Amino acid sequence: MAKPFILHMLTTAKNLSPFDVNMALDAGWISAVPYINVEPSEVRGLVQDAIFSRSPKNLKRTAIFIGGRETKQAMDMLKTAKNAMVPPFEVSVFADPSGAFTTAAGMVAAVEKELLDKFQTTLEGKNVLALGGTGPVGQAAAVIAAQAGANVRIIGRQLDRAERIAELCNEEFGDGKIAVTAGADADKAEYMNTADVVFATGAAGIELLSAELIAAAPQLKVVADVNAVPPAGIAGVDSFDNGNPLAGSISGAVAIGALAIGNIKYQAQNRLLKRMLESEQPLYLHFEHAFEVAREFIKSTD
Amino acid sequence: MSKRSILHMFDPMPNNSPFDINMALDAGFDVLMPYSNVKLEYINNLTQDVIFSRGPAGVKRTAIFIGGRDMGLAIDMLEACKPAMVPPFQVSVFADPSGSYTTAAALVACVEKSLKEVHGKALHDCKALVFGGTGPVGIATGVIASLQGADTYLVDHLSQDNANDVAKQYNRRFSSHLRGAVARNDEEKAALIADVDLIFCTAKAGIKVLNAAVLAQAKQLKVAGDVNAVPPAGIEGVGLKDFAVPLLHASQATKAVGVGALAIGNVKYKLQQKLLNSLLESETQKFIDFRDAFDWARILV
Repeated sequence: MAKPFILHMLTTAKNLSPFDVNMALDAGWISAVPYINVEPSEVRGLVQDAIFSRSPKNLKRTAIFIGGRETKQAMDMLKTAKNAMVPPFEVSVFADPSGAFTTAAGMVAAVEKELLDKFQTTLEGKNVLALGGTGPVGQAAAVIAAQAGANVRIIGRQLDRAERIAELCNEEFGDGKIAVTAGADADKAEYMNTADVVFATGAAGIELLSAELIAAAPQLKVVADVNAVPPAGIAGVDSFDNGNPLAGSISGAVAIGALAIGNIKYQAQNRLLKRMLESEQPLYLHFEHAFEVAREFIKSTD
Repeated sequence: MSKRSILHMFDPMPNNSPFDINMALDAGFDVLMPYSNVKLEYINNLTQDVIFSRGPAGVKRTAIFIGGRDMGLAIDMLEACKPAMVPPFQVSVFADPSGSYTTAAALVACVEKSLKEVHGKALHDCKALVFGGTGPVGIATGVIASLQGADTYLVDHLSQDNANDVAKQYNRRFSSHLRGAVARNDEEKAALIADVDLIFCTAKAGIKVLNAAVLAQAKQLKVAGDVNAVPPAGIEGVGLKDFAVPLLHASQATKAVGVGALAIGNVKYKLQQKLLNSLLESETQKFIDFRDAFDWARILV
């Protein structure tokens, strides 16, 4: 008899996110078991406990989810988990710390769709500003966009921190194959002169891009704001916006709000959780795969 | 409609073991409820909260599992459950910290079977070493072997004092006759294994405890069992699926055989499954620890 689907859900935080638990059960996992306050050093032991208690056949019905708050830590835990497998005793692992990977994937995929629909172009060669880009969503979005060919600049209040994050994105997440740059918030106005796309991924309730800067941007095409709590991260963006014209833009830019991004994020997370249920091979999933399924979802709605 | 079956999983560690979670769900429990960071003094209240909320019929669909990494604490917790029961409000309790009781029971049962079939001997005829002897699986292995009459040494990889302390502590608790030993390097290992009949290897996964050169020093080795499934093997030359397969590296002990981790794991798996099932199937209340596990493991092999 086939065994029940079990998702072992690891987080370095004090609790799992109920969001992830709901998503896991709705994707078809029968049992979602929490492991909290997990130290990265404990991952190997937990993984090996999980793989040696079921037959290889039933391990296809077993997987691990990695939550937490930090992107680098989650990626390291994913690597540790992968290295702890003893084939044929191995299971799929999906990292999505704070939902950042799927949120970033949803945002970049939505931006890509608007570039194509409204401007008949792609991310290739576009200048992207990631405002408030030093957090988990900003980091993942920067890497995904850079991997799609964009010139991404992470903007932070402290330049040295933004520089450190850009380097992390390039070396750790981009395998040295991308070149995300950094900039200071104070120099935003200058960068807006050449910006095609703006991501706003800062803390809720802080305006990162003002109406004045939007009005002065000569080649702005798409802005995306993950913040659903007023005031908006980008002036004039409503959380329901989904390709609506951005108020005050002289270049005909359009806006994408938090709910439109959230919808794609939901679909991407759901699809990755289902992929692990259905896959014959163990999968190791992170932001790149999230972007893949976010694009897939957008294609399916055309 | 009959109530769903619930397994309350008490664990003194920051998290339950995924191993136990998989096993419990696969044994047919409908709902698993993890409780982490559980202290001994909470057991009474937790147990009473378990028994008083489902009625006498509902408690038959309810059981307690005790996990963790500490084999002594698990026994203490199991004992602490007993006085908390108020018949007919009572549930069965199964202690198996880190799967150590069932792993140890399966290891000793497999080695015992090989010993009888290949050498016609019993555990009480033998001198035994337990490498990784001060960890949870090692202690349970040592206690089971000692209670069967084997002259058993718990081997620590750092400290003779630690090995002696652990042996003394568990002898007092279980009336066993364990002794301590230390093997910090290949010379000490070679000296220790020269005159033993049985080797149990329960050291940390992925560490080669006994290499070919050390094994060549064993003069009367009969059976060696290794529970490490992560390469390299704990005992060089023992294959994962070996069950009484000649141990070629033990060149001076020509009849010596090895038992590998998957062979033991297979028995352990069936054993843990059997014991978890018995929690759901039994009409009478049960308290299951490593001694009960060994009795069942003998039947299974």
